[in-house]
Amino acid sequence: MRLTLALALLGGGLAQTSVAPALRIGGVSPDIPLILAVFLGLSRGAEVGCLSGFVMGLIQDAAAGGFVGAQALTKALAGFAAGQIAGRLWVSDPLVQVPGLVLLTFAEGLTRYCLLQFFHFPASFGDLMLYVVLPQALYNGALGAASVLALSVAESWRSGSLWR
Amino acid sequence: MRYRTYALLVSVLVVSLLLLSLGNRGGGARRPGDLIAVVITPLETALTTIHRSAVGVWSAYLVWKSVRRENQALRSEVERLHVRSLQVDETQKENLRLRRLLALRDRLPLSTVAGEVIAKEWGGWVRSVTVNRGRSDGIARLTPAIVPEGLFGRVVEVRARAAVVQLLNDPSSAVAVMVQRTRTAGVAEGDPMGTVRLKFMARDGGIQVGDLVVTSGLGGVFPKGLPVGWVTAVEDRGSALFHYAKLAPVADFARVEEVLLLTGQTGADLFPQFAARPET
Repeated sequence: MRLTLALALLGGGLAQTSVAPALRIGGVSPDIPLILAVFLGLSRGAEVGCLSGFVMGLIQDAAAGGFVGAQALTKALAGFAAGQIAGRLWVSDPLVQVPGLVLLTFAEGLTRYCLLQFFHFPASFGDLMLYVVLPQALYNGALGAASVLALSVAESWRSGSLWR
Repeated sequence: MRYRTYALLVSVLVVSLLLLSLGNRGGGARRPGDLIAVVITPLETALTTIHRSAVGVWSAYLVWKSVRRENQALRSEVERLHVRSLQVDETQKENLRLRRLLALRDRLPLSTVAGEVIAKEWGGWVRSVTVNRGRSDGIARLTPAIVPEGLFGRVVEVRARAAVVQLLNDPSSAVAVMVQRTRTAGVAEGDPMGTVRLKFMARDGGIQVGDLVVTSGLGGVFPKGLPVGWVTAVEDRGSALFHYAKLAPVADFARVEEVLLLTGQTGADLFPQFAARPET
């Protein structure tokens, strides 16, 4: 189980630079590590969410050649927040999970921007939010919804309920 | 438990910030990123290769599907065009037949009605066709039916909008004929085998293989001079009073699709109209 999780984290971290560009729509790519971190946080709790966000963020940072540690921090926070929400709210419904993912993506973007201000990140806040963070948040929501649907179909198929 | 969770969060945040500040200092401080890159670069390369291969396979599959679909579409198009080509071919042939019939009709000095063959009876007992002209078109019993090559048969039954034409090779058909070259008279009869036989022709008539036999006009049913057939064999029956011969009818009964029904009467010899027929 731990091996699967480790592979998922490694794959998730690396998928962002290899698979995600192929999923680009209108210049917007989904943030696969963030989606994974949020779902792991929601399903496995704050600790797993936090650690997985950190690992995948770190891989993403190293792979992308940006500020190493920035995404590790923000994704760790996002995974942690997802785990905290899961402990307090009823989040098993996709109608909660998907908007939650959109909001957390937006919050992660906002946090990253704020963090990078300490390192004199030059992009303007308005442009970044409008053209990068918001479209990515929406895309993450759509991809998250598709993933939840695919998982539930796979689960139904595995338990045989689809044929009854 | 709760303490551990927050401790983990704080640790992660501290490590991240540490990495960030190390990375931002420049010089050898990018080492953390470099160290991680040493591990992830080969993995990244492998994942990209796998991804590209998968995309390549998928693209090949899509191309194959598209080519297959295109192939199917082209096949059906070829089939459609083939059918269309057959239709055009058929129409051209029909056009040619009708032109020949029309040319003959214009040459004949009597009124005619063109009819289309709508049914055929091809058994040994009866050989006839049904044409789509009947009483309402002025067709009467015993009306001669001809084709551009010559005699085809005669109407034996008339209905309101159709008529049954007895073919020349029907076993009960008999037509007064003569050898066109010698003017020797005889009777052409059908037989159960579907051929036409020449009977009751005087022995001194000098009939030969290859002679053309035409209607004699005797009996008043058929106008004089309609080509009936070519002599293919002459039977010598010893001391018999008459010659017997086999005829190859000028009309190809199996392929005729349109006929001319001679509704008018004429005493003229029609042979020149057929002899003048252009070869096509």
